[in-house]
Amino acid sequence: MKNMKKLWALLLALAMTFSLAACGGTSDEETTTDDQTAEDTSGEDTAAESDLAYVQDKGTLVVGITYFAPMDYKEEGSDEWIGFDADLAKLFAESLGVSVEFQEITWDYKVEELDSRAIDCVWNGMTLTEDVVAAMGTSNPYCTNYQTLVYSADRAAEFEGLTSLEGLNIAVESGSAGEDAAEALGAATVPVQAQANALMEVAAGTSDAAVIDVLMAAEMTGEGTSYADLVYSLNLNEAQDLPSEEYGVGFRQGSDLVDAFNTFLAEKVADGTVLKVATTYGLQDAVILE
Amino acid sequence: MIEFFTSSTFQTVLSALNSGFLKTLQLFFITLIGALPLGLVISFGSMSRIPPLRWLTRLVVWVIRGTPLVLQIIALFYVPGMKEWFTWPSGENGRMLAVCVAFIINYACYFSEIYRGGIQGVPKGQQEAGQVLGMTKAQIFRHITLLQMIKRIVPPISNEIITLVKDTSLARVIALQEVIWMGESFMKGNSGISGLVWPLFFTAVYYLAFSGIVTVLLGKLEKKLDFFQ
Repeated sequence: MKNMKKLWALLLALAMTFSLAACGGTSDEETTTDDQTAEDTSGEDTAAESDLAYVQDKGTLVVGITYFAPMDYKEEGSDEWIGFDADLAKLFAESLGVSVEFQEITWDYKVEELDSRAIDCVWNGMTLTEDVVAAMGTSNPYCTNYQTLVYSADRAAEFEGLTSLEGLNIAVESGSAGEDAAEALGAATVPVQAQANALMEVAAGTSDAAVIDVLMAAEMTGEGTSYADLVYSLNLNEAQDLPSEEYGVGFRQGSDLVDAFNTFLAEKVADGTVLKVATTYGLQDAVILE
Repeated sequence: MIEFFTSSTFQTVLSALNSGFLKTLQLFFITLIGALPLGLVISFGSMSRIPPLRWLTRLVVWVIRGTPLVLQIIALFYVPGMKEWFTWPSGENGRMLAVCVAFIINYACYFSEIYRGGIQGVPKGQQEAGQVLGMTKAQIFRHITLLQMIKRIVPPISNEIITLVKDTSLARVIALQEVIWMGESFMKGNSGISGLVWPLFFTAVYYLAFSGIVTVLLGKLEKKLDFFQ
């Protein structure tokens, strides 16, 4: 009898929990619909239409970035984000009539950052891989890049002219284009959080080499860095018979900001602004001028 | 050696780490201010005479203590926006707010169990003595149980507080720029300096100094409460 009572109490408690949860759900949904009835009616197309309006409505374009010279970075003693991507992002926000806000993000969570509306776009020398294209609304490509191999200068003889990475432990950024390249060339990969951590693996001798973007390798290795003993060579895209990679800007899936950006990009390529900005940051050979 | 400490690189790194550590401290104190009282409320819930309330509270405590804090932070920050319930304010402040909420809930659950142990550890005879003196329940709690409980819980709470100093580093998973984030930032580049590894390891100095101060303060508090025994 006493046990029955306890069982009933437990059931009641569970029922209460779920009904509370249910209440929460409904009321939240209601407020959402109230807020967004104007823009957010059902259907993919109309939902997409609201994204540009959403950004213009709140008046800021939040650009998700990581520190990546020469795309998004700060100069010594300055607190302003500059770089090829940052400068164009400022112009793009201006063309939308909104202010721009740069937000550093954790690269692994770029899709979640977009979907949760914590940021409005990812604009950070992002390689347009299959995964990226599948998870985001991506723009036309604006810059080219290839993956390169970074290794210790002492061991240069072992690595020069390699066409296969079999039998080597290669540090890569988890989820990056470099990881795909290393796997395709038969390496045992060591996925780490960031390209910078991949370099630390090489410097510490815990991995034989790392595969990262050539633009970043040029910036982060050699004299004046902690990685003065590291060198890079090999175009791993050529080694795989792959075309060079292309950088693009990522928006929420189905967002109409993609079209707005593509129009903006075509205009700025046509009037020479893109080439001018690219030349400022030494990217005149990498930038795409269709 | 002295040249290194006066170099502009060291100064730049130091000021970046300082700004990061300010965020760490902010998170630490907000969590304590929120979680210490909330924990007491939760401990009352888990000792409640009403079984459904008691079980509900214990269910929550089980879920929060049984899942990693880092997962709670990620879920709390991203899920509301993805489900279109609400969006956290944009910018660094929104991230700080989300992280604070996650930390307060998590630490309150741990504190609640310490409180429960402290309250239930006070001998029953003490409460009975209060009843004999004609005190009300509230009076008994305030004047007899609470003070003896505080004395008992200081060592385990101190343990949690020291853990909290270091747990704040989990906040960087949603890109809150606390001290370890700032330390790591010089690896990929920050303020024109890139490829530096030592700032990351240098953050240990901040944690050690701060946990040292906290340890001394908590030790003093423990001494102050000695007169109970």
